[in-house]
Amino acid sequence: MTNAYELNNIKVVHQQNCVLDIPHFSIPSGKCIALLGENGAGKSTLMSLLAFTAKATEGTIQLFGQHIASKLSPMQRRRIGMVSQQPYLLAGTVADNIKLALKLQNIESSQHAFLIEQTLQQLNLTQLAAQSAQTLSGGELKRAAIARAIAYDPDILLLDEPFSHLDQRHIRQLENAIQRFAQQTNKTVIFSTHDQPQGLAIADETLNLHAGKITQAPLLNLFHGTLSQHDFNTGNLIIHAASDLANARHIAIDPKEIIISHQPLDSSMRNSFNGRVVLIAQENNTVRLTVDCEERFQVIISPESLTHLNLTLGDTICLSFKSTAVTVF
Amino acid sequence: MTYFIDSLIAALELITSFDNSIYRIVFTSVSISLIASLIAASLAVPAGVVMALNTFRGKTFIQHLLNTLMAMPTVVIGLLLYGLFSRLGPLGHWGLLYTPMAIIIAEAILIFPIMMNLTITAVNSADPRLKPTLISLGAGPISLAIHVIRATKLAILAAIVTGFGRAIGEVGAAMMLGGNIEGFTRTMTTAIALETSKGEFELGLALGLLLLIIAFVLNFLLSWLHRPAT
Repeated sequence: MTNAYELNNIKVVHQQNCVLDIPHFSIPSGKCIALLGENGAGKSTLMSLLAFTAKATEGTIQLFGQHIASKLSPMQRRRIGMVSQQPYLLAGTVADNIKLALKLQNIESSQHAFLIEQTLQQLNLTQLAAQSAQTLSGGELKRAAIARAIAYDPDILLLDEPFSHLDQRHIRQLENAIQRFAQQTNKTVIFSTHDQPQGLAIADETLNLHAGKITQAPLLNLFHGTLSQHDFNTGNLIIHAASDLANARHIAIDPKEIIISHQPLDSSMRNSFNGRVVLIAQENNTVRLTVDCEERFQVIISPESLTHLNLTLGDTICLSFKSTAVTVF
Repeated sequence: MTYFIDSLIAALELITSFDNSIYRIVFTSVSISLIASLIAASLAVPAGVVMALNTFRGKTFIQHLLNTLMAMPTVVIGLLLYGLFSRLGPLGHWGLLYTPMAIIIAEAILIFPIMMNLTITAVNSADPRLKPTLISLGAGPISLAIHVIRATKLAILAAIVTGFGRAIGEVGAAMMLGGNIEGFTRTMTTAIALETSKGEFELGLALGLLLLIIAFVLNFLLSWLHRPAT
């Protein structure tokens, strides 16, 4: 499988702050990838680099194996469709905006009407074709921007926070549109979101970004503090970690690796904390518990386990996990 | 007070009688300023758009230079061009001194930094998403510039109109380079200066009123262009 992108020694520095630092990373083609991270993690910066609308301070990016020296050629540009977090539609109608994209991509004018019609149908926007872009609602605007980006049939679709500030109905419509595009042969979709469950639900793979760095750790149960001789101090808790990485400032604990029990367990697990259940949320076939043990932990269990343990809000329970379940970075 | 009111009435009579000598001066003034504005705009607008859209070494220096040139006194431009166009000057053989073309060149130079600076401001004040959106849709440098100009056309038009307003009200360079020759290089401002010095206050006042009317029409046009969409 070829790589859509290959990033090497990428650094983006803004006002002496390194906002993105990726030594090496490849993004395979033909996949739907969710870029996860908190606000300010560097998701939009990375998306701008992948769209080649911004330049890295250092490092190189390869697009489908081709090194990009400065600017994309028109053919390379046609391979990427980008929709920013707050899409900008130019003055005119929705159809005018799609037509502009087709014109700029040098697509023959004889095909414009067909491609506009086809794209509007894909995004359920046919009835809005002649509507002024300035009068669209938030959801319509995002769908119109996606229509504009996919009208010229790019190989890669980049979506920066496509679901933010949308209601459930519009989110579902967008999810369907993204999945339809991703299901086509060899299309790569990369979308950023701070909503981890949503990313996991749609994407084939997830990419976690934290403080400008790509991390393998899931970004749930993310704590900040200092590590000293395997003990990570969050300020409220001391968590034992297997790693003793120098200069580590963050840890993350996979919510599926946390065991819950009513009484402390006599086991090899080095971390054990008592806490109170403050939230129980059912998501698809899993249950997400939020447990307050001075720090708030997210724990994922099955609905059967919830029934078996007979947990209710306010119950005091014990959380246990191995030091190897703690990812240090 | 009576003198002023009498002069004002006489000036209004001159305007309403469509006195040929007055409207000849107005025509000369407007045509010179219009041509100067078109020449300056054709250079300043593309230059301003290119400068606003790109980052390059020396950009800050150029920005400072433009700001300095905006404040340059018109007589200094007149003086420099006089030195170039006078018989003994390096461009004396072009025979431009005391011609409308000399005034056009001076006014174009005078308003170029104003138009360029205001164009840069217009592009910079456009939505920050405009440029990355156009680039991501495949716009090359030329189509990017064209679409940015389209999106900021009213602000750029305001820059051109402001330049025109500055040109038509200019007196120092027009006097030095045009020579205030009746029926040839006499503009409204040079005529006002001359007529007032001769004691012909009515004619000067009539021209002054017409200049004010032109300024009012320009401002009205700008406000109309910037009216909120209904």
